[in-house]
Amino acid sequence: MNEILILMKSEWVLLLIIIIFLFIKVGSTEWKNENLLYLANILLLINFILGFVLNTDGIIFDEMFKTNSLICLEKNILNLGTLLISLQSYHWLKNHKHVAEFYMLLLSTLLGMFFMISSNNLLMFYLGLELSTIPLAALANFDLHKRQSSEAAFKLIISSALSSGLLLFGISLLYGTSGTLNLSEISQHLNGSNLQLFAFILLLAGFAFKISAVPFHLWTADVYEGSPVAVTSYLSVISKGAVLFVFVSVLYTVFKSLGIAWQNMLILLSVLTMIIGNLFAIRQNNIKRLLAYSSIAQVGFILAGISGCSQLGTTSVIYFILIYVFSNLGAFGVVSIISSTTGKETISDYKGLYKSNPFLSWTITIALFSLAGIPPTAGFFGKFFLIMSAAQNGNYLFISIAALNMVISLYYYLILVKAIFMDKNEQAIEKIHVPILPKIAMLICTAGIIIVGLYGEIYEYIFKLSFGY
Amino acid sequence: MSQTIFYILASLSIISALFVVFSKIPIYSVLWLIVCFFTIAGHYVMLNAQFMAIVHIIVYAGAIMVLFLFTVMLLNLNKESEPHKRTYLKFAAILSAGVLFLTLLAAFKSTNLTPYQLPEVNEVGYIQNVGIKLFTDYLLPFEISSILFLSAMIGAVVLAKKEK
Amino acid sequence: MENTLQSVPQNWYLLLSSFLFCIGVMGVLFRRNAIIILMCVELMLNSVNLLLVSYSSYAGNNDGQVFVFFIMVVAAAEVAVGLALLVSIFRNIASTDIDVLSKLKW
Repeated sequence: MNEILILMKSEWVLLLIIIIFLFIKVGSTEWKNENLLYLANILLLINFILGFVLNTDGIIFDEMFKTNSLICLEKNILNLGTLLISLQSYHWLKNHKHVAEFYMLLLSTLLGMFFMISSNNLLMFYLGLELSTIPLAALANFDLHKRQSSEAAFKLIISSALSSGLLLFGISLLYGTSGTLNLSEISQHLNGSNLQLFAFILLLAGFAFKISAVPFHLWTADVYEGSPVAVTSYLSVISKGAVLFVFVSVLYTVFKSLGIAWQNMLILLSVLTMIIGNLFAIRQNNIKRLLAYSSIAQVGFILAGISGCSQLGTTSVIYFILIYVFSNLGAFGVVSIISSTTGKETISDYKGLYKSNPFLSWTITIALFSLAGIPPTAGFFGKFFLIMSAAQNGNYLFISIAALNMVISLYYYLILVKAIFMDKNEQAIEKIHVPILPKIAMLICTAGIIIVGLYGEIYEYIFKLSFGY
Repeated sequence: MSQTIFYILASLSIISALFVVFSKIPIYSVLWLIVCFFTIAGHYVMLNAQFMAIVHIIVYAGAIMVLFLFTVMLLNLNKESEPHKRTYLKFAAILSAGVLFLTLLAAFKSTNLTPYQLPEVNEVGYIQNVGIKLFTDYLLPFEISSILFLSAMIGAVVLAKKEK
Repeated sequence: MENTLQSVPQNWYLLLSSFLFCIGVMGVLFRRNAIIILMCVELMLNSVNLLLVSYSSYAGNNDGQVFVFFIMVVAAAEVAVGLALLVSIFRNIASTDIDVLSKLKW
């Protein structure tokens, strides 16, 4: 009993927070939105801090649920991202009618991701995945009076249902050919027959839908554009990050014996994702769409790192996602505050932002530099390790394509930076008063971008924990 | 005997599934889907999974399809007009589904499925056995599904409630 | 009907369920009406259920049937949220014209 309490502590804490909000909502006293938001942020901060204590290894519930230091680290990264998003969305949620529901849905998706990361069984994995997507579709509709928002939500639920259908067919074929649902037993029953290969391809397609790798990316831009900014940043950072964590561990531990088959598939997916993500990002005018395509291109780089098949691959992916949390949330934080105060979202609206809002301009610039991978920022180190991992196979054509794509991506990030600092604009965005909580989040992001890159211990710590191939 | 039943049920489910896809009027699609679900329940009975068959009828035909019917009626969706998809897109849809099926077929053909040792009395589908499995080995997923329902309920209420 | 498992080979169930799955996929790609797309997804999930039940009956272990139970749970939750979203869309566009859903370009 004690074991269940300790090993599942992050899940228990989240569940407790959900129940607190449930009681607040059904209770008779009306809470003011500001108080509710402060309470939520404090609870999330406690949740984040508790992530660092009592980390033990173990497998419970008939090998359904496993945890170890690496999994705890991954959960901490997700906790941190959720805390930052919650801080940033203060301004948007202040005037929203359903704050308690927002947090209940948000935290139940996070709970789903935790179960998914800890799963040692295909059923647990599937349930965690669905728990992390179904409430997210409701969240995408939280601009309740905007038609775009509802359409985005509907598109999200249909594409996620389709992808989980593909995933399930793969799972059922895998179950049929191996006779078990336990992931560690499945890896012993893999014999590389054509049916199992096909099951694997279906699984890969399901995963590729969730991380929006290229042939399966069509829903991404519309969903990101239509959803509220807080949900967009959650989708692009947290839910993508969680699926990537699971993807790496499933590929490296369960499907290890099919390695040669999926390595080439990953390289192909990665090249397509990078090229198409970057080329489409260049022609975007809406900043949320731009960030959507840029996040597709970043997934291409992550896939390149995964194709390395070594301990370096695991480490570089987790390290990059940590950096990606800081840099993408830095950019989205600025977009969020501008969008919720002025409603402006196109790139031409950002012209001359520096004149009126130097703080916001510097924050978004540093974040964009990190996304582009310019040296002093952490993004450079993240991409450097990813490409180093990809280079282990000695496929230099692939590496040069990746390097070329870094240059292309530099182009559209710098266009945005140029618009902010150099272009003149008659109707520039006026001075925006940034509330204290979003300001803290932006400062954390900026500090994270600089520190994670320069402080090498973090990388070595992740390397020590992560599993090899 | 059971081969004949299998053929009848299988052809019924395929025909009704095709009608679901090709019916012009949404309400016909809903009704055909219910027919399809009943045939699948028949397959479950054939496979000696009686509990699954009953739950399938209750959940799918009893709850989910009623929800669909309500939405079609409430939103007055029952019109024949549907935005036309271009013909080549329809062609591509049929083609890609066909290619998917052929690939599956080829994968089945080239894989030797190990013949199972069939027990004399197959009891895996009995309510008792499924229940024991559900509440011992699969206790944690069972609890998680309650959280899933809670959050789906909250989401649905927030979305569908009329604002004051 | 104890003899079904003996007289019907398992491959037939494999073929049937993969055929149903392909019909479902085709429906998702083929139709534009949102509600029918949701129904086609249900069809896909059902073919998966049939496959899982047949595997579990033939192999004599009931993990597959428990899995089917959970797929039903998830499908119910998914449909509840999906249909609530449809209601919300129709409230926002304040019309019952189905053509408006064509904005959902794929």
